[in-house]
Amino acid sequence: MIGDDIVVEIVEVSGATVRVGITAPRDVVIYREELWERVKKENQAAAEADPAKLDELQG
Amino acid sequence: MPVTIESSRFGPLEVPDEAVIEFPAGLIGVGGRRFALLVRDESSPFRWLQETERAELALPVASPFEFFPDYVVEISDGEAERIGISDPDEAEVLAIVRAAPQLEDFTINLMAPILVSRGKAHQVINEAPGADLRAPLLAGLAAARSHR
Repeated sequence: MIGDDIVVEIVEVSGATVRVGITAPRDVVIYREELWERVKKENQAAAEADPAKLDELQG
Repeated sequence: MPVTIESSRFGPLEVPDEAVIEFPAGLIGVGGRRFALLVRDESSPFRWLQETERAELALPVASPFEFFPDYVVEISDGEAERIGISDPDEAEVLAIVRAAPQLEDFTINLMAPILVSRGKAHQVINEAPGADLRAPLLAGLAAARSHR
């Protein structure tokens, strides 16, 4: 187990090849993708900051 | 040994080596590898993370506890293992500030803070309840002041 609802299992071993299966609830995977996108957009917006604006917040 | 870096906002800068932090995984969706933590005004809660090789990439940051004294960081076991920090309390925490045309609209990212430990930093997903992506900064400041 690598997460609460995520299971990794060995599906097949053949010679030097190992096939791995990962089972995760779709809602967990989608949740993380959406979160990633939201954080990415927030990072990008923050990276546009103008130092003068922050200087105004002193005092 | 000081390091000389180029910043599109601040021009050429010399920063102490200790001020440069490595982000093994970069910032989420934005990347970057080595950022200098700049203090431009000692009395200001704001610092800047300036990427050392991308002059135009810089973000304002602050310690979230200055504005939200009760702020908590909780990360999943998987995340803790990935970044090699088992206890967030052992790391310094920075949160990215989003400036806005109006001061009242400044927000701080409590959902995806940056944990700094031993010269390395990681932007993580905070699983503690109420950790907003855009927490109003001035509301937090007012609340923090009333704590004193």
